[in-house]
Amino acid sequence: MKKTLGAAMLALTAAALPASGAFAQAAPRDTLVALRSIDADNYDPHRSTARSNGEVMYMMADTLVSLDWDMKTVRPGLAESWSVSEDGKTYTFRLRRDVTFCNGKKMTAADVAYSISRWVDPATRSPVRWRAGNVKEVRAVDDYTVEYELNEPFGELLYQLTLFFASIIDKENVEALGANFGVQGFNGTGPYCWESWTPRQQLTLRRHPTYTWGPPIYQNPSPQVERVIWRVIPESNTRLAALQSGQGDVTQYIPHIAVAQLQRLPTVQVTTQPNYLWDYFFGFKVDKPVVSDPAIRRAANMAVNREAVTKAAFFTAAQPMNGYINPAALGYNAEASGLLPGHDPEAARKLLDEAGWRAGSDGIRVKDGLRASFTLYGIQDQVNRQIAEAIQADLRRVGIEMKIQLWDATVAWGKLATQEFDSFIMSYPYVSATDGLALYFDGTNRPTPNRMNWNDDATNAALRQARGGLTQEERNTAIGQVQRIVTEANTWIPVAHENLYLAASQRVQGARAHGIYGVALYKGLDIRLTR
Amino acid sequence: MADIGASAAAVVAPVPASMPKRPGMLKRLVREPVAAIALAIVVLLVLAALLAPWLAPTGPFDNDLSVALSVPGTEGLMLGADGQGRNMITRLLYGLRATLMMGVASVLLGGVTGALVGFTAAFYRRIDGLLMRLMDMLLSFPAILFGLAIAAILGPGISTIILALSVATVPLMARIVRGSAMVVMRQDYIEAARATGMSDARLILRHLAPNCLSPLFVFATLRFGQVILLGSALSFLGLGAQAPMAELGAMASEGRDFLFFAPHIAVIPCLLIFTIVLAFNLLGDALRDALDPRLRV
Repeated sequence: MKKTLGAAMLALTAAALPASGAFAQAAPRDTLVALRSIDADNYDPHRSTARSNGEVMYMMADTLVSLDWDMKTVRPGLAESWSVSEDGKTYTFRLRRDVTFCNGKKMTAADVAYSISRWVDPATRSPVRWRAGNVKEVRAVDDYTVEYELNEPFGELLYQLTLFFASIIDKENVEALGANFGVQGFNGTGPYCWESWTPRQQLTLRRHPTYTWGPPIYQNPSPQVERVIWRVIPESNTRLAALQSGQGDVTQYIPHIAVAQLQRLPTVQVTTQPNYLWDYFFGFKVDKPVVSDPAIRRAANMAVNREAVTKAAFFTAAQPMNGYINPAALGYNAEASGLLPGHDPEAARKLLDEAGWRAGSDGIRVKDGLRASFTLYGIQDQVNRQIAEAIQADLRRVGIEMKIQLWDATVAWGKLATQEFDSFIMSYPYVSATDGLALYFDGTNRPTPNRMNWNDDATNAALRQARGGLTQEERNTAIGQVQRIVTEANTWIPVAHENLYLAASQRVQGARAHGIYGVALYKGLDIRLTR
Repeated sequence: MADIGASAAAVVAPVPASMPKRPGMLKRLVREPVAAIALAIVVLLVLAALLAPWLAPTGPFDNDLSVALSVPGTEGLMLGADGQGRNMITRLLYGLRATLMMGVASVLLGGVTGALVGFTAAFYRRIDGLLMRLMDMLLSFPAILFGLAIAAILGPGISTIILALSVATVPLMARIVRGSAMVVMRQDYIEAARATGMSDARLILRHLAPNCLSPLFVFATLRFGQVILLGSALSFLGLGAQAPMAELGAMASEGRDFLFFAPHIAVIPCLLIFTIVLAFNLLGDALRDALDPRLRV
């Protein structure tokens, strides 16, 4: 009854919307209208790490290599083939010869060398420069051969090169536009070309007419739709209503509570990606009072009912985490996951008693005059709030107090870079276990993104090996070791693996959720419109 | 802010001190059925808020995630449960408590400060201009902006809202008190009291203030409704009560995420806010009528 009511109300709003004139009209012919919740501040692959930049960048530009639907297999992209030297330090890419930029210029090895060099140039100040590895030099051997030379082996390199930060850009375009590169225009080799951008409203792309070099993971090597409009609708219910009333065609930004209902609606098709890697976790600053006590962190892990928290925050749209890494990810270590304490509030209480934390008059434990109380910072949104409040209630049951302080997204990142909090809630995309854990647990990444202030020699050494190991086996052993160390230290409370859903309207065919860096459409080459 | 101006103008009608105090003010108040109902609702709400710890079926923070979003009428959950699986009745009682507390504290704090400013301005005419221009400045700031600014400095919380609402109440109260005090100041008995050599403080406390009280009370009652509404708006924006504390505006905000699927979470707190504001507005109107000598029949 409740569910029917929800669906009925959704449908009702959809019916009411056109009359309200909230939107100009139904989506135009041969134009795919993709709906999203937020815009990017610019469309330069090196100056913004936002997912909202990535979803447009994957359509406007290409990378040397692409990632298959399994999230593990690297496929050709602009490079037809590649080889790795025996010492693991030099990658040689052989490029396709038929690639042109949107302005008709041929794409050559010099463009690749320029793009990667700009990415790793300290003057560019890319926040994700480290993803390119410790680059010695990227050079064009001839027009269609690129040598990518590193100072030390980096086993993750090919995965990192599938991310949109490694997009190939046009030097002349960058220099002509200067600070307005990716703001007033963008010349890429992708299936769609920049047409216009009205910040915080919409970005329009037009089909790249000669594009035939799409990654082999798609049935079509060329785009099937004339134009793509990326439209921002911040309010989630309005976005859903727009999708149902035909004013929008696809969106991955679906409130979790609506997923089950949407899946039942005959007018909407929903696809999902089982190998999606986007996790929610809760981290402790291990050098702050109260949470520096391993007993508190372990007890907190035992106090939290992950399954119930996940269901309350995500409904059917996520799975509780059973370890620090998604089992679908490369480098996942099942044995390390076994070390994560299960839900057992009784044992948590016992552990705290034994560690000297005695219940105070208000039910909150005290040890040597110190209250078992700490603060949590995070970004203000519905999911974070639901998770935080549910964990807060679970912790209170074992006598630990957590004060929640969620910040508006505009100030949250600054606040999360400070040392004024004791724990934080965060969600992030990753391509492999090493990718995720190196980001958060490398001692040199303090104070952010290593907000745990975790600086452990054994972890740092294992991470170095996980990145630099010459064989996949060697790298897996090392990253397994990292998973064991951080799991045993209870540095996090892992919460949930989010699912990815892509909802499409009736006229859309061939929409399939990919999920690289959280982006569902990726290149969207198989998408067709029936009317 | 137009409505505030109108109500402020309407209440500036001090009881001339020459009139004898009429007995049975309360009786005349409840003679109007609407006023009687409003008064009954206010009394009920206040009692519910005061007795929340005894009336609530569960503890204020007790949750059971397995019943999250239960609709009203579910077994054991007459008004359903919120997104965290907390009993809505409990949340509403504690939310009411926080909201009323917020209203009382801001009206008291802002009212007393405003009244002091008003009396001072009326009594010491030399600084009247300065004080009133200061009040004009405060009046030109929207309360929401105050709330945002104070929250930016102090961080969000109930005290932030109380501070913002108090500051927004000060100039209104100062205007009204100054207006009625100026009328009283012209009365002969003030002259007489002054002639006896009474000190300023005594003069204000014994003769000026008591004769300005009724418009002050009427305004405070009306202002209470507005403050609840403004406070709820600030809480809705996330500047107020922080989790897990219940507050009606914050509850409405939390419920917004589930509006299509579990509308009761947002609708019930909104209805309660509506009831509080309506009851206090009706009561304020009735109080004004009852205290206004011109309306005496």
